[in-house]
Amino acid sequence: MTAALPRYARPRPDRLLGLTPAVWTGVLAVLALAALEVLARTVVDPIDLVPPTTMVVRTAELLGTAGFVTGQVLPSLGLIAAAFALAGVAGVGLAYTMWRSPWWRLALQPYLNVYYAIPIFAVYPILVVLLGTGGVPIVLLSAAFGAVVVVTNSLLGFDSVPEPVRKLARSRNLGTRRYLTAILLPAALPDIASGLRLGLVYATIGVLATEFILSTRGLGHEIADAYHTFRTADMYAGILLICLLALALNIAVGAVLDRLDWRRR
Amino acid sequence: MTLSDSALADTPVAPARPASRGVPPPLVLGIGLLAAWWAIAALVDSAVMPTPVTAVERLLVNLQSTRFLDSAADTVLRLLTAYVGVAVVGAVTGFLLGLARFWAAAVSPLLYAVYSVPKIVLFPLFLLFLGLGDASQVGFAFFSGVLPMVLLVSAAAAAVPPLPLKLAASLRMSTPAVITKIVLPSILPAFAGALRLTFGLTFLGLLIAEMFTGVSGLGYELLRNVPLVRMGDIVGEVVLVILIALAPAIGLRTLETRVRARFGTTTEGDGR
Repeated sequence: MTAALPRYARPRPDRLLGLTPAVWTGVLAVLALAALEVLARTVVDPIDLVPPTTMVVRTAELLGTAGFVTGQVLPSLGLIAAAFALAGVAGVGLAYTMWRSPWWRLALQPYLNVYYAIPIFAVYPILVVLLGTGGVPIVLLSAAFGAVVVVTNSLLGFDSVPEPVRKLARSRNLGTRRYLTAILLPAALPDIASGLRLGLVYATIGVLATEFILSTRGLGHEIADAYHTFRTADMYAGILLICLLALALNIAVGAVLDRLDWRRR
Repeated sequence: MTLSDSALADTPVAPARPASRGVPPPLVLGIGLLAAWWAIAALVDSAVMPTPVTAVERLLVNLQSTRFLDSAADTVLRLLTAYVGVAVVGAVTGFLLGLARFWAAAVSPLLYAVYSVPKIVLFPLFLLFLGLGDASQVGFAFFSGVLPMVLLVSAAAAAVPPLPLKLAASLRMSTPAVITKIVLPSILPAFAGALRLTFGLTFLGLLIAEMFTGVSGLGYELLRNVPLVRMGDIVGEVVLVILIALAPAIGLRTLETRVRARFGTTTEGDGR
């Protein structure tokens, strides 16, 4: 029977050569890194590519340098934290306004719909002219970049309160504030959390990209500077560090946000 | 959370739209913001705060210069090249990957890991390997959009509901027929959503690349005016960038709404 079944109707095989997909993921990752290592040590010009092992060593060296940590890493992390906080507060606040007022919802919805189609980084030069090259334009732009994804997810959450619960609240004469704290926010929390998780990714991209384009310090700036001054090993070390930081940040904040998500418990 | 949950859920496609009379609220808001900008600019009366009229005037003046027109044309051409690449290469790769469901499960985590890296920091690699010209900028714009396309399409292709496939097997349908009659229609909504999502990402990547490379293009024009503090020019260019982004964005959204209405899983299809 199974032999007659066409391939498309068969269930996905559990293993290939005795290995599960997850193991294959690891195998492929190791193979890719090994290929990179070999390429870097044989064919490719060392000014273009350094071997992954060298990247790791150089990253460790940079992290051991106090000036690098305090001068580049911590400022970037501070800006990301500020942008993330601003995006979260503004995003949830705006979503609440839209949920309360149908007029605002109608007025804002079309703009939110096309928001991520517009490359918002185009506005960065305006902010730089108005506010200088410091942290303020970076935080503002990154927060604006991250806020809208928080808005749309929070709105989904606010809309998710079931009709019977709303009716119950009305029959119990819950005030606006009580309704907000006892029903609306708890009900919306999982969606707000997933919005915040994306907001963090966006805020991180925003900070690193603006630092990269035009700024005086920070990790993004450091990579751009390393590129311009042909410090290839430093550039790759910075890229590796950002990948690791982004990963660690996502995992850490994701773990915190998961605890807020009662739907997963 | 999968990419399709997060990326496509971020903008609800069909907002509730009760019939309302009078001026539409979005228009009121837009005019209000424009008026506020105008009033502030008039009050401040400074070169760093142009009025909307100044900005549009500067844009019109710039649009008469060949150099600026060349830059704008460069950007549009690069965007088109990269986006067509994203749509074709991304969709075909995603489709093939999704059909090989075992490999989709093995490769997706790697693609997702690369996707979650703030891609902008990888741009110097494009410069190193592709040079300062169009290739690196188109390449980076392509790279900015192609991963979500692959991930969304492959997830959709791997998630074709088993019931129609079993029915097809019992009807002894050939594999090509299954692909054209079942698989393709069922991934169309995800593909339309990915088309909309990746357009914004591709344009964003291109603009950042142009800002950084500083050779030509609208991104370069924007940044070039910063040290000169030509705010009228900058704001005018931002208006142009928004206009370039807006037309396809609205078109792609309409397309997505229609495709979802026609092929979406929420509507009960009769399987014609």
